[in-house]
Amino acid sequence: MKATERLGKVIDNIEKVIIGKREIAELSLVALLSHGHVLLEDVPGVGKTMLVRALAKSVGADFKRIQFTPDLLPSDVVGVSIYNPKDMQFHFRPGPIMGNIVLADEINRTSPKTQSALLEAMEEASVTTDGVTMQIPKPFFVMATQNPIEYEGTYPLPEAQLDRFLLRVKMGYPTREEEIEVLTRSQSIPPIEELESVLTLEELLKLQEEVRTIRVDDTIRTYIVELATQTRRDPYVYLGVSPRGSIALMKAAQAYAMLKGRDYVTPDDIQYLAKFVFGHRIMLRSEARYDGITAEELTERIIAKTRVPVQRLVNQ
Amino acid sequence: MTSIRKNKVFMGLLYILVFFLLSEWLRPVIELTETGHHRLFLAFVALGLVMAFFDIPWWITGPLKLFYILWFIVYVYTGNLFFTAESIRFVVEQASISLSALFSQDWQATTDVFRTVLFFALLWMAIYLIHYWVSFRLSIFLFYLLTVIFVAVLDTFSPYSGDAAIVRIMVIGLLLAGLLHLARWMERHGAAAKTDKLLVFSIPLLLLLVASTALAFYLPKADPIWPDPVPYITSYSGKGGVGEGGVGRIGYGVDDSQLGGSFVSDDATVFRAEVEEGQYWKVEVKDVYTTKGWELSEEDADEQLYRNGDEVTTDFPPAGEERSSALVDMQLPFPFVLYPYGTASFLMEETLDYRYDPVQQRFDTLQENTAFEPDVYEVFYSEPSYSLTALRETDTEQLSELPPEYDRYLQLPDELPERVGELAEEIAAGSDTVYGQAQAVERYFGTNGFEYSQSDIAIPAEDQDYVDQFLFETQRGYCDNFSTSMVVLLRSLDIPARWVKGFNEGEVIDTVDGYDVYEVTNNNAHSWVEAYMPGVGWMMFEPTIGFTGSSSIDFDLEIDASEPEEEEMPDRPEPEPEAQPEQPDGDAGTNASPTVGERFLAFVSEQAGKLIAATIVLLLLAFMLFKIRKKWMPKVLIPYYRRKVGDAETFEKAYLRLLKQLELYGIKRAPGQTLRSYAEYVDSFFGTKEMTKLTAAYEKSVYGGDAESVDWPKLKESWENLINRTSG
Repeated sequence: MKATERLGKVIDNIEKVIIGKREIAELSLVALLSHGHVLLEDVPGVGKTMLVRALAKSVGADFKRIQFTPDLLPSDVVGVSIYNPKDMQFHFRPGPIMGNIVLADEINRTSPKTQSALLEAMEEASVTTDGVTMQIPKPFFVMATQNPIEYEGTYPLPEAQLDRFLLRVKMGYPTREEEIEVLTRSQSIPPIEELESVLTLEELLKLQEEVRTIRVDDTIRTYIVELATQTRRDPYVYLGVSPRGSIALMKAAQAYAMLKGRDYVTPDDIQYLAKFVFGHRIMLRSEARYDGITAEELTERIIAKTRVPVQRLVNQ
Repeated sequence: MTSIRKNKVFMGLLYILVFFLLSEWLRPVIELTETGHHRLFLAFVALGLVMAFFDIPWWITGPLKLFYILWFIVYVYTGNLFFTAESIRFVVEQASISLSALFSQDWQATTDVFRTVLFFALLWMAIYLIHYWVSFRLSIFLFYLLTVIFVAVLDTFSPYSGDAAIVRIMVIGLLLAGLLHLARWMERHGAAAKTDKLLVFSIPLLLLLVASTALAFYLPKADPIWPDPVPYITSYSGKGGVGEGGVGRIGYGVDDSQLGGSFVSDDATVFRAEVEEGQYWKVEVKDVYTTKGWELSEEDADEQLYRNGDEVTTDFPPAGEERSSALVDMQLPFPFVLYPYGTASFLMEETLDYRYDPVQQRFDTLQENTAFEPDVYEVFYSEPSYSLTALRETDTEQLSELPPEYDRYLQLPDELPERVGELAEEIAAGSDTVYGQAQAVERYFGTNGFEYSQSDIAIPAEDQDYVDQFLFETQRGYCDNFSTSMVVLLRSLDIPARWVKGFNEGEVIDTVDGYDVYEVTNNNAHSWVEAYMPGVGWMMFEPTIGFTGSSSIDFDLEIDASEPEEEEMPDRPEPEPEAQPEQPDGDAGTNASPTVGERFLAFVSEQAGKLIAATIVLLLLAFMLFKIRKKWMPKVLIPYYRRKVGDAETFEKAYLRLLKQLELYGIKRAPGQTLRSYAEYVDSFFGTKEMTKLTAAYEKSVYGGDAESVDWPKLKESWENLINRTSG
């Protein structure tokens, strides 16, 4: 079975429980395949948790959930060493982060200290406590959510830490029809319980390896860099996309191309993913806010005016 | 909507115009093929058009036309006005002859009757086509254009004169095209096709037509700028005539009474010669200049007969006792022998006589008093050498003391313009020896902007002198121009001179026993000059620029060290300033011949107006072509890419071309638009799926780096389909 078909099955599986969120499911898979993490930004109750649980179930992964609260400590996330009087030694009790797929709910509610513990774990895919480094089992995928509405008692993530997320996705409300369907379905047994895994973890790891082989032509690389450069030059922008952002876009595009059944990246992939990859990596000046321009809109403007490479590079 | 096609008055007018246009086709055909019964053919055309106009069904028109053709045959070939038993028998007989000839593929055996039928069939087809163009397409432009080209070509290449026809065609055609345009316009805008409205709309067209025709008639017209290209073209097709103007084929000819005109080269080998050194090969001389060319004076001379090995006497005695020999192997039959300067004797296997005529100076070969064409002969010679001392003593005073037999070498036509003589005086002004004057004339051509060329050479008009035209107007020509001019100039200075014909050295093709084998072709046919130096004798001169044959000079001068002058050095490529005559253009400062660059600049400055006009026209044309490239590019691109090898590179180029064409067509791609979304838009625009298909293949090839996946032959069809749509 081809990669795209397998991944298609995962998405179909997720769609069984989440209605009308195929795009989000795809993006989550893209992040999962390219060793990235997703920042879900939306109001509560639109199915964020359900999405992650469905994803975890579909790939047969270990699902953990951390509800971030202002009093949550780093050790509550990464784990703690407990003294065992029997053998008179400290034993490490892994925290909820030690899972394959972790839902970090309302990440902006906890203190920066705890936030950074999570983000560090995300970046390194390992945790260090009391001088002991522990590898987090692979695959490791964090889906963090934050509520953009509530500001009171929240600790907004610093921009530098936002960079750790591959994609920032907004969930959005379902359409009328979709919501009616949601209501219909919720009358019966929650379908999430019936969900079966359609992809083993081993297969997933293999696919993660395979993503690296997806071809990125020089023209595409040039295009990515051109887009990133444009964000740095834009008068509305205070801080543009970092080279890490460019890498993220390329990796995400590779995964997306695989998802779409191609073994090469096209400019369409780049254009589609750019707003998810660049959105949280661009710091806008206050002028932009006065003009009512968001980072996503700015990305789209840049895409619209940047020439798409349509010809093979001559001096290869 | 009332279609304009229903308006019988308007359509009737169109059909009448079409009839006139068609008759313009018929007229030259009939005239050129000397076919009779012009009216009856016209009647057939008229009949066909009338029936087409009234939309008579084919099962009536077909038999009617057939009947007409049959009647025509009967009437024309048997003289019967009606079908008689005899005439029907004739038709049947003819049909059987022609059919059997056809079946046996013996095209020559078909009869005139059959050809007449074919011609009628052609007319029939033409009528149908025109009917289709006018009634259905409402467009006649192509036919109109073809008519103009047809008549123009006939006018140019055939005896048919299209002077009046072209005017008629222009008027009829423009009117027709204008009316049809109006018809199309009304049809497109759904305007009611009322006759009065049509009339109103046609008024500006008519006015414009009348005005432009009147202007064309009464405005002064410039003469054609370019020379008539037809002789040149026909000469390439092998039908060019030699002699009377036009383009000749180079080579040795007998008739020189009409010089001028261009030459095309001819590589036919005339002879091969084994010689020690390259030689000029003399054939004969001519002495009477007729303002147009050369003829031989009819004076009687004592002919000499020599046998094999006899010592011959010419105006150029051998230099010494030592003889060089040359073996000449003739490839073309000439009834005479070619001989080098200083010829002493001939030798040939055959027993024959060499008849030498001192006037013509030709050695005719005779065997028992009939012309004999030698195959191989040997000639012994010793090239004459001239003492420079003696040459420097050739005083012009001596010229007046020459005996009367030299008079014919001083002959000049009465019509010779005076400026030729004046020029000769000017050229000779600096020298007081005969030799110096002759040399000055010889060198004159190399330094005064004369140009050697075999093409585009003028022919003197009725009242023009060949030499005068060359010296003062064209300054462009080949050996005949240069040599004739030199003879005439020398004669103007009272120096006896004559015109020599023969061949130059040719090309070395081989070496045998220390001898060079020269191949002399018709291209080496040449003419040069012999002039008489008093006290020294006859001497050859080579005025044609680019040729190097000249008399060999014996430098026996006792040069005085104090005398810096070395004007008699015969190395003409570097003329000494002192030896130069005062030049007529006063340009005495530089004596070096103008370089190619200078000449080019001179040409540019002379022709500046024309060049600028031509450039503007070309630019305009190019701009027009560029502007309408959307229309014609696909026509070029499709055959171009169809021929190409079906690899990915071709496909990518073709795809990018298609993008450009689509852009021209008006489907713009935003800079940030990806190919795929563009392709989807294009497909939704045309209602196709082909652009998406092509784009997917293109993306795979370019972004995917998978050139092998491209199957251009398969994609070609989609590509052609799309690119064809863009030309609409």
